[in-house]
Amino acid sequence: MAIKLKPVDVAIVGLGAAGGMAVLPLARAGLKVAGIEAGGWLDPHRDYHADEIHNNVRMLVTSVSKTKNEVPTFRTSPEQRASRATSNRTMMNAVGGTTTHYDANSWRFAPWDFKIRTDSVGRYGAAALPRGSTVEDWPLTYDELEPYYDTVEYEIGVSGKAGNIQGEINPLGNVFEGPRRREYPMPPLRDTGFTSLMTSAAGKLGWNGHRSPAAINSQPYAGRSACAYHGYCDTGGCHLGAKNSTAVTTIPQALKTRNLTVVDHAHVTRILSDGQGRVTGVQYLRGGKEYFQPAKVVLLGCYTYENARLLLLSKSKAYPKGLANNHGQVGRHYIAHWDGREISGLFPFELNIWYGALAQGVVVNNWADDNFDHSGLGFIGGASLTVNHELHPIAAAAMPLFSRAPSWGSRWKRFVNQNAGRWVGVYAQCTSLPYENTYLDLDPEAKDPLGDPVCRITSGSKENEPRARLYVASRAEEWLRAAGATDVIKQPLSSEGPNQSWHAIGGTRMGENPETNVVDKWGFSHEAPNLGVLGGSVMGTHGARNPTLTIQALAWRTADHLIRNWKSITG
Amino acid sequence: MSEADHEISRRELIASSAFVPLAALTCSSAAHAQTPAAHATETALSPAQMKILEAVVDRLIPRDELGPSAAEAGAPIYIDRALTGPNAGEKQTFVDGLAALDAFANSSQGASFTDLSPERRDAVLTAMDNGTATGFANSQQFFNRVRRLTLEGMFGDPFYGGNRNFAGWDLLRYPGPRLVVGPEEQRMDKLPEPYRRSAYGPQYGH
Ligand SMILES: Cc1cc2nc3c(=O)[nH]c(=O)nc-3n(C[C@H](O)[C@H](O)[C@H](O)COP(=O)(O)OP(=O)(O)OC[C@H]3O[C@@H](n4cnc5c(N)ncnc54)[C@H](O)[C@@H]3O)c2cc1C
Repeated sequence: MAIKLKPVDVAIVGLGAAGGMAVLPLARAGLKVAGIEAGGWLDPHRDYHADEIHNNVRMLVTSVSKTKNEVPTFRTSPEQRASRATSNRTMMNAVGGTTTHYDANSWRFAPWDFKIRTDSVGRYGAAALPRGSTVEDWPLTYDELEPYYDTVEYEIGVSGKAGNIQGEINPLGNVFEGPRRREYPMPPLRDTGFTSLMTSAAGKLGWNGHRSPAAINSQPYAGRSACAYHGYCDTGGCHLGAKNSTAVTTIPQALKTRNLTVVDHAHVTRILSDGQGRVTGVQYLRGGKEYFQPAKVVLLGCYTYENARLLLLSKSKAYPKGLANNHGQVGRHYIAHWDGREISGLFPFELNIWYGALAQGVVVNNWADDNFDHSGLGFIGGASLTVNHELHPIAAAAMPLFSRAPSWGSRWKRFVNQNAGRWVGVYAQCTSLPYENTYLDLDPEAKDPLGDPVCRITSGSKENEPRARLYVASRAEEWLRAAGATDVIKQPLSSEGPNQSWHAIGGTRMGENPETNVVDKWGFSHEAPNLGVLGGSVMGTHGARNPTLTIQALAWRTADHLIRNWKSITG
Repeated sequence: MSEADHEISRRELIASSAFVPLAALTCSSAAHAQTPAAHATETALSPAQMKILEAVVDRLIPRDELGPSAAEAGAPIYIDRALTGPNAGEKQTFVDGLAALDAFANSSQGASFTDLSPERRDAVLTAMDNGTATGFANSQQFFNRVRRLTLEGMFGDPFYGGNRNFAGWDLLRYPGPRLVVGPEEQRMDKLPEPYRRSAYGPQYGH
């Protein structure tokens, strides 16, 4: 029998990017919040090191993670038996979730991302929509999310340069961005020889090259130190607290109100609901014991795969097919973001990108979204192109060979001696859409150590996204050549599978129509009125940029909605 | 509530200690905790297997005018330690691969790998690399795995037993992990001076 705890106002499952954000407005509003988190607190001394083997090869920061025991399975079509997906960049189980070791590129999505369907049909006709896509417009516009983007940027601290302040365009920033109310709270991360080179190369082509926005302090912010650019940011935590994970920003702020209790090392196994279809609380395991935490409202924030899985596992009388799944929409509209670094350039001079952060980059958005005419191209959307700092030595030694050297022996040794510091890859992130043949459900065979089925990814082939990626690959080559690259190599496009994506979106999509969406425009279930969902699982499309700032703005907005409508939601 | 109080004080503790970055980067006891196998006395490979591995990695990254070979830099030690701990799951595949390699050296070149001339060793490795070598579960896969682990040993932090004397980092002209990197060290016209030091302290790497 589960030990029954004292009721709280809100139980949040998972204190990562999303859950760790929502706790702050709730706690400030005086609500009693239990943050139930599978991982523990990370310790910069114990867990964070300037060491590629530790962070990137062995991923030791995440080595004790629960997610490693429940890696989803993957298949490309419903006839197949799914097999364990690869996960080469694991999500984190810790207070702060994956923001503890993410790269902190902190983008707003473009206004176009919120209304791809309407805009594409309007500009190119109904045939422009990719076959089999279930894309809908988001139930909110960029302008409706803008105040929340602004709040989150100032709350955690984001470094960047505005490209559009209330309609005033500044080419030092992203000229394609939607209007923002004010400048970023901090200037961009440091300009370097390399960022200057790539910015001016974009300029030569008539493109808008600008600096990556980053949730990393370019100067001291809110009592935390500035970035020291030591070059071990990716998949590693910040020993200075300069990477603005929720573990050093919103969660400690929420703890100060004394309204948040962090329950760490607690693995939520079920969300319970009553005969009326209202959720009553969550059940979790901690230290070998089972607890029941009653709550007036439950917010799920345990990343896309676990959000969908927990709902599907939480069956009850009111929800025989899984919680909030009476319309069969849980798991649908899943999107693994298409991204990769297949285009690399070799330069006749040193780039010196060893140090810094991955978010210390230069970005071109001319070939993203609907920023160019797609007539006759056969796809919609596009990709942002990014080059950045933070090259590690093992990765450098494993560099592409540009058909200039064998892969071992003395000739190879000479090649890397000359060129390990003279190449860079362009990271392309593509607009990614949901499809009928792309969804999550429970695997009928593979189980986690508790005996619960793991999440199963079914993701069929697509036409739109690979076409877009192929198109932007040529633009990436132009950019590298404009910067002085003598050789450019295009490796085959990586496919989206068979991996567990670190930009996994959908599965509990947000929309007005309960027939096609799990949550409403505020993030609350269409079926269980006191259940909300936080995270990318509510998003219906993946923009051509990293998702987390949008996830966090949405999480804040859902919390805000809850505070404003506390009476009716807890009714 | 008591839980929350506890966590506040813990955060404060971490926040205050975070301003001693040197400790974060040199705290070797912490690194031991994270990588228990790194300095274990136990070995995964027998002396005979180690000899073969040394001979192999020395063809992948040979000694020449650019510096030491992979074996001289300790890459086999890195690999052996990896196979006792974090990579223990692939130990058997690795041991089987080494046995297949030596058998293939015998069948194709008429002697054990370690008795072959450098040219003949290269012929064995080339056949593995091409996937034409016989007697392996998958020679190409094994070759790529050895190559990958050799890169990790040669170019990873010397804390793990390879990259001795910073031979790997010097070869790439990687200037080494530094606590604080200033604007002068992110220019293109002038490279930072090499900072030949392990992230876990000056006691490693020599
Ligand atoms: C290496 C890496 C780099 C990245 N870089 C970027 C970047 O530069 N920019 C960007 O925008 N995005 C980046 N991302 C993606 C980003 O991390 C995610 O978008 C974001 O963390 C998702 O937020 P989330 O809250 O849904 O999940 P998470 O942040 O992963 O948090 C989920 C939390 O829920 C907890 N949890 C899970 N299951 C349970 C359970 N059953 N019970 C209790 N707790 C549970 C987990 O322990 C975890 O703490 C990166 C990801 C990775 C892996």
